[in-house]
Amino acid sequence: MAEHQAHAAAHDDHDHKPHGWRRWVFATNHKDIGTMYLVFAGTMFFIGGAMAMVIRLELFKPGLQFVDPQFFNSMTTMHALIMIFGAVMPAWTGLANWMIPMQVGAPDMALPRLNNFSFWILPFAFTLLISSLFVPGGAPAGGWTMYPPLVLQTGASFPMLIFAIHMMGASSILGAINVVVTIMNMRAPGMTLLRMPLFVWTWLITAYLLIAVMPVLAGAVTMLLTDHFFGTTFFTAAGGGDPVMFQHIFWFFGHPEVYILILPAFGIVSEIIPTFSRKPLFGYEAMVYAVASIAFLSFIVWAHHMFTVGMPLAAQLFFMLSTMLIAIPTGVKVFNWTATMWRGSLSFEPPMLFALAFLFLFTIGGFSGLMLAMVPADYQYQDTYFVVAHFHYVLVPGAIFAIMAGVYYWLPKWTGKMYDMTLAKWHFWLSTIFVNVLFFPQHFLGLAGMPRRIPDYAVQFTDWNMVSSIGAFGFGLSQLLFPYLIIKCIRAGQPIGARAWEGAHGLEWELPSPPPYHSWTTPPSAAVIARGAAH
Amino acid sequence: MHGLPGAVDEGQRRRRVRRSAILFALVAAAFYVGFIVMMVERGSK
Repeated sequence: MAEHQAHAAAHDDHDHKPHGWRRWVFATNHKDIGTMYLVFAGTMFFIGGAMAMVIRLELFKPGLQFVDPQFFNSMTTMHALIMIFGAVMPAWTGLANWMIPMQVGAPDMALPRLNNFSFWILPFAFTLLISSLFVPGGAPAGGWTMYPPLVLQTGASFPMLIFAIHMMGASSILGAINVVVTIMNMRAPGMTLLRMPLFVWTWLITAYLLIAVMPVLAGAVTMLLTDHFFGTTFFTAAGGGDPVMFQHIFWFFGHPEVYILILPAFGIVSEIIPTFSRKPLFGYEAMVYAVASIAFLSFIVWAHHMFTVGMPLAAQLFFMLSTMLIAIPTGVKVFNWTATMWRGSLSFEPPMLFALAFLFLFTIGGFSGLMLAMVPADYQYQDTYFVVAHFHYVLVPGAIFAIMAGVYYWLPKWTGKMYDMTLAKWHFWLSTIFVNVLFFPQHFLGLAGMPRRIPDYAVQFTDWNMVSSIGAFGFGLSQLLFPYLIIKCIRAGQPIGARAWEGAHGLEWELPSPPPYHSWTTPPSAAVIARGAAH
Repeated sequence: MHGLPGAVDEGQRRRRVRRSAILFALVAAAFYVGFIVMMVERGSK
């Protein structure tokens, strides 16, 4: 013990960090790996965003303007894969890496070398995927859902797609194992499960979902691979296989995947709203149980994505009702966030603005999800722009706004500096206005019957497509403010104390800003934990 | 960290970390193999 303390004193905060490129390539520190995940996610966000710009440019007017239909389909496919697996999921893992050890009172993640490995798989996976744009036949164009038999017609990029998916899956599973193991084994003494911050709780449940469903996706794409190259007929009707079975397996992964993308957002919003309401979170335990219920229900609703393939009435009823059940725990969460703000001393700094936009706009996405859950209605909405509007409301002002809220909330902690608040508010208002101009008209287009995944459309859809495209260009341009603002903060932000926001609670705010290289080399005391866990 | 009230024995924690990591890796592997085996079984009927 004495030797340990002397060693620690001699080395200040155990700051053995390597310098130069070695610091990043051989990184085992949770903050460095978190930073790499976030930078990677930001890069992918702009690459995927550029693809969205191509899509909206082509759809500005009816007729074929700029790209051929095959390339357009590649853009929709790649945009989805890059945004889901390259932007949103790594951004959550980056935030988890940065925050979970600090929030549970641990010095680092439980498996630091595995952490390094799970990050460094990603650049290879996405280089492979993006380079498929340059092979004969072009990038995959059968949609991110990879339905056979269409996907089996993919050219030279098919094995690249499958291998890239395998690598992304491996990275996610390893990252998830690390998160679960850290939370279950590395919590400071006294940090009981029901004292953990909601962000840690939501990530714990997300990690369980990842461990359960990413291997299912890997299994499905392995079977696609063997169908394509090794003569099996898992999904080929001519050989006795069943293409619809692929849809069942894919959505058994795909629906929990939706919650993998959104549950950590619930966690972040549950951190931010109490801070800027200067009140404890209303119904902490109910929030935990609501997240767990949503996660459980996510496993038994998958076929609502495929009502129109034809299934027994009993199955349709089961999947319709189980899907509608999700509205109950989600409603509990929305109610509790609202109740937290009730009679609170509210202030509207950028993290709170993004959290409030999340609350309103995610709820719109949730409501259109409820509409889609109804079988007879779904027969009308299926494969239209209404579905596109629905999931973009969930993912853009839902998941992505929550990521931005999280970055704006914790950036002063990470850097020790405060960012330009005015510019951040500009970023918020431009994003919020344009995201609605972009996606709200797509509800009208879908209800009027415009199919999704087409490069051309009937002339009666022109006006709302033009509005939507203008929204897209505005949203895309306004996102350039985000990296500018972060770089400006790192270079010239005003120094800030340990507790950047006066209403903030949690162990991370007990550490100096920026925190030491290893966060809690000595576990926080019971008093510090009690102060931090003031839900 | 040793010697603090309520602190966990580091060796024991390492073993627990390793054990739970292996357990979850096996769960993931079981899901991967399980779904493929399920499809093979289904096809052979």
